[in-house]
Amino acid sequence: MDANSRAAAPIEVEISLSIISAEALLKTCYWFSRDYVCEIRNRDENVADVFLTSRDSSSGSDPSSIKDSFITAAMDFALREKIEAKTSGIRDLLLAKAFSEAGVLEDQPEGIFGDKIEEANPEGMFKILNNRYR
Amino acid sequence: MARVFYPLQHFDPTPTQFQLLPFRFMRFEEKELLVNEAGEFLFTPSGTVRNLVDGSLETNSVLYRDLKAKHLVYDDTSSALLDVLATKVRTKFDHITGGTKLHIFVVTLRCDHSCHYCQVSRQSASRAQFDMSTSTADRAIAMMMDSPAQDVTLEIQGGEPLLAFEMIQYIVTKAKPLALEKGKNLDIVVCSNLSHITDDILHYFRDEGIKVSTSLDGPAFLHNKNRPRPGNDSYQRAIDGIERCRAVLRMERVAALMTTTAASLDYVTEIVDEYVRRNFHSIFLRPISPYGFAVKTHRKIGYEMERFLKFYKDGLKHILDINRGGYRIAEVYTQILLTKILTPHSTRYVDMQSPAGEAWNVLVYNYDGDVYASDESRMLAEMNDRTFRLGNVHSDTRRSLFTSDAALRMFHAACNQALVGCSDCAFQSYCAADPIYHHATQGDMYGNRPTSGFCMRNMSVLKHLFSIIEQNDRDTMRVLWSWITGTTAHGPATECA
Repeated sequence: MDANSRAAAPIEVEISLSIISAEALLKTCYWFSRDYVCEIRNRDENVADVFLTSRDSSSGSDPSSIKDSFITAAMDFALREKIEAKTSGIRDLLLAKAFSEAGVLEDQPEGIFGDKIEEANPEGMFKILNNRYR
Repeated sequence: MARVFYPLQHFDPTPTQFQLLPFRFMRFEEKELLVNEAGEFLFTPSGTVRNLVDGSLETNSVLYRDLKAKHLVYDDTSSALLDVLATKVRTKFDHITGGTKLHIFVVTLRCDHSCHYCQVSRQSASRAQFDMSTSTADRAIAMMMDSPAQDVTLEIQGGEPLLAFEMIQYIVTKAKPLALEKGKNLDIVVCSNLSHITDDILHYFRDEGIKVSTSLDGPAFLHNKNRPRPGNDSYQRAIDGIERCRAVLRMERVAALMTTTAASLDYVTEIVDEYVRRNFHSIFLRPISPYGFAVKTHRKIGYEMERFLKFYKDGLKHILDINRGGYRIAEVYTQILLTKILTPHSTRYVDMQSPAGEAWNVLVYNYDGDVYASDESRMLAEMNDRTFRLGNVHSDTRRSLFTSDAALRMFHAACNQALVGCSDCAFQSYCAADPIYHHATQGDMYGNRPTSGFCMRNMSVLKHLFSIIEQNDRDTMRVLWSWITGTTAHGPATECA
């Protein structure tokens, strides 16, 4: 009974919401949801407490290792958000360009690349040249 | 006039700042694996992604040059060559162009086998009302020819299609001149257990250039256990049929597929050895389908994904050993995934496409005229789940099939780029969405990735393959490249025979 109680005790993880956004936290919980019930409680505006309860009461995983894994995964999702913020514009342009040349878009993408470096380099190769495929 | 070169730094400038190109990443053992939008990848030391994001990566390092070469960063001394990268992305998505290529005709549900895992609601061999009619065949052929695809494959299956051989002849006779008229290249394959093959049928296949695909689940004890029929002689009939086909048709016109069941899982070595003994040069270590009768008898057939993964990894190791010994035999799932990982190209394998290949790249015309998005969709329909029934050849057009509610619902869940769990995944470029699998197994086309067998299998297999790539053993990579390029490990392939 004691052993089961110990196995079922939730693992508590403190998350700083100024470092890890709510979206990144939810994505982390999504992947942990196979093995754990994830309960998120906002302590205040800046801190959330996550309680991970194993779905397998006989699981003997080391709580500190699980906590480390959770924090690492959350940090990775925070990094992914930053990458997306920095690259979503060029990604949209890249895909538009790829598929416009495949002839599957009704409208060709317009405009220039709009990147800081390219704006300072008007002779660069990023421009879509006046919708040349029209 | 004296000519002088520009100063050295003109040719090798060190950039002062850099920008990121879109990529996804994952931790991989002690490293990080970065994959760009076109599926090109790079293993980097742990911490690289953080350094990239905060801009602290040394721009005069070898690592930085590798990142730039792999279209992961660009700077003021280089162009991201957006046109080049866009071309690579377009090449990776080549499977969405050209229209439906694979057209499966279910000419009968009749079959003489009673396999536990059978993926159709088989009917007894005498019930001809489960055969395709000529009017249904005419409409299905017309729809196939309406596809904008230049190269179309007509796959004839059942049940056991040889029990409806006259219908095969009818379809071939009708389809060939139409293909010629429309300027299409028509490839015809008959999927049969070969238990009813005759010399007359074989000569017909030879004269019409028809290929044969059959089932071989392993050695006799396993094949007969998986594929019961009266007389318990399925294996012997299959082997006899294969040899007779090879004697009349060319060697490469006869292919075999194996189905994995719980009974197979302890015998991967024996299964592979059977394929080698029978002089096959490819084997597909497929997991059991969760559709059709396989769902109904899940407890009997069922096995855990972990067991399948061990089966796959042990099998791949054995296959690689055989190749190193000089006999060329490729594992098809590995070949498909490595093509996606190591080349700019996509593959025709519809189960691993995003946007999903179902309907887009394959249509199934059932014996009764109903049209399905895939063979798996038809199996579900045989279990009274018609979610993926797109329409009927007698009442629909190609356009109405593709704009049906069934098709549009499925298309919404067909792109892993837009699915929770997949949108951030480093393996996105190599993997798929498979809304039909997730509907069948989870009751939700979008699917829950953490508990998805599809996700678990592909993540594990892809990690295994990347681990092999990262180890970069010369002999192993030579074999794997030979599978991708269709050459032998020692030089260009001649003929599989």
